[in-house]
Amino acid sequence: MNNTIFLLAQNTENFWRKLPGQGLVIWVVIGLLLGIALLFAFTQVPSNLRRWIIVGFTFLAGLPYVLAYLWPKPIGADLQNDVPRNLSEQIGFTINQAIDPVGKITNVLQAFLLGVGIFSLVRVHITKVRRKSENWGFSTVLLVCFALMTTVGFMDWRQRKFMDDNGLLNEPSNWGFFQYANDLMFEGMYQQMDSAMFSMIAFFILSAAYRAFRIRSVEATVMMASALILMLNLMGALTYAWGTGIESLVVQTGNPFFMNFKLNVMADWLRSTMQIPAIRAIDFGVFLGALAMGLRLWLGLEKGGVSS
Amino acid sequence: MFNWLQGEQYLDTGWIGIAVTLMVVTFILVNIRRANKNADSLFIRRISGLNAIDDAIGRATEMGRPVLMVPGIGVLDAISVQAINIFAQVTKTAAQFATPVRICCANAPVFAVAQEVIRDVYTQQGVGDKFTPETVQFISDQQFAFAAGVSGIIHREKVAATFLLGAFYAESLIFAETSNAIGAIQVAGSTQSTQTPFFIAACDYVLIGDEFYAASAYLTRQPVLVGSLVGQDWAKIVIAGMVIFGTLFGSYEMTGMTTEHRTDNQGVSSMTPVEAGPDGTVTPERVKKSDTMVNRFFNPYTPEELVTIEREKKPAEPEAETGGGGE
Repeated sequence: MNNTIFLLAQNTENFWRKLPGQGLVIWVVIGLLLGIALLFAFTQVPSNLRRWIIVGFTFLAGLPYVLAYLWPKPIGADLQNDVPRNLSEQIGFTINQAIDPVGKITNVLQAFLLGVGIFSLVRVHITKVRRKSENWGFSTVLLVCFALMTTVGFMDWRQRKFMDDNGLLNEPSNWGFFQYANDLMFEGMYQQMDSAMFSMIAFFILSAAYRAFRIRSVEATVMMASALILMLNLMGALTYAWGTGIESLVVQTGNPFFMNFKLNVMADWLRSTMQIPAIRAIDFGVFLGALAMGLRLWLGLEKGGVSS
Repeated sequence: MFNWLQGEQYLDTGWIGIAVTLMVVTFILVNIRRANKNADSLFIRRISGLNAIDDAIGRATEMGRPVLMVPGIGVLDAISVQAINIFAQVTKTAAQFATPVRICCANAPVFAVAQEVIRDVYTQQGVGDKFTPETVQFISDQQFAFAAGVSGIIHREKVAATFLLGAFYAESLIFAETSNAIGAIQVAGSTQSTQTPFFIAACDYVLIGDEFYAASAYLTRQPVLVGSLVGQDWAKIVIAGMVIFGTLFGSYEMTGMTTEHRTDNQGVSSMTPVEAGPDGTVTPERVKKSDTMVNRFFNPYTPEELVTIEREKKPAEPEAETGGGGE
């Protein structure tokens, strides 16, 4: 297997990116040793100092994003190939170039944590099977499917990536066992079950709507009336008939005010005047809350919960 | 004059975006300082969804059934961290009554953080042995596989209370209706405004919008959190004032007349004069929304010379040789 294939994607050499070769291997080994040393050092740190290490790392990790937001980003710049025109642009280039490596460190951490998640999943279900707990049959199905899907998916990926230079496996007529098995399990089973789960929402919406629209209070009545107008507006024949009636009323009375009672006008008014401003007001609150939360985490102001 | 301060991020919204952000940050930090001095003077209104937490846990304890919590299906961000913070408070109460807890995660980093936090809560309450691998579980990072897994747990374990707090999408109603079907008390809150109506229809208590972020301040009364909440309220008042002023002033401006209109084409702004009539006279036209000062405030005028910048290119690097390393 060609191990350098992943590294060849990085075509520019700089402090963060090294091209394949002897030097790269040395850097990888140095990085690995440094990582192990840091990990060991962190385990030895007294627990009262750990919080400050986490706060420090959080601050450093967030700093490039905050600076990138505040400092003027050079307009229309190609960060890899352009030369900055002045000091302001030089700082802007440096800040924006730092975001990519920081993001990659996050990706590496997430990959490790995915392993932790899979370990938890497998451990919970193996324990259930071993103890023959209630419903242990479901756990067996999960473990067997997990092992099959992982094996088949990996083998299919490996064959397509490293043993199919001419792209023959793109044609189903050239497929082997793993391609057929992967197709059956992913397209034939997983995707279908996923769609089935999604389509069940229709029935849940029906039962939830039934309960919500029972007229029990003033609020429920207003909601019911609004929903009725919006739903009726989606029925073409009814909208047409109602609109024609309103238009003839306007002709008879000579009062154009009645045009406001056409179904599509009322529905548009409800959406643009009532619904959208309400959603935007809620979103303002949500974004302010997220900003405050992010600020507290970044500056290490919070105590307890996740920050402890 | 200040060309060196022109940045790509200011082309869309101008300096107003950054100015408002800095204003909000200042409000929050000032109020955290105020709260640190005297937290009791700051008031938080009653949030019924959070008052229901004790009732929900009490019911679960009486019935001897677990409390289920789901921090949404989002990645590890402010939303899921806030959800875990609330769950830590709920778990604290549940651990005191030895009520079993089930936290289901759809994202591995969220799971890892939740596991650590909840384990700490159990340890701090002196019931570390009650924390089991089932307490915090990673189910799946696929949306509907996760929905199926959590629904299965709700049905099999007949949970007495569910807390659905975080970033939810289409699966929200599956959880809410499944819990409703088995008669569980439900407290829900989503930062996705599209999912809030579903929760309102199906759940007993719903945290709407920023109530979700107010929850930990409400539950813990920590000065930092309470101060931050008051800072957010100050920001909301200022933003509401800006909206009202902008609406009135913009409406007034649009009653005026002008002889040139602003046009924006592919990020470049220009002023287009009103066409002269056959006799050569220019008749002023009504001011459009794009001509108003309020609009210019949020969409700064971007001349072509600002966005077409020629920069020198770096000299081509020689072919990298094996054995290289470092600059």
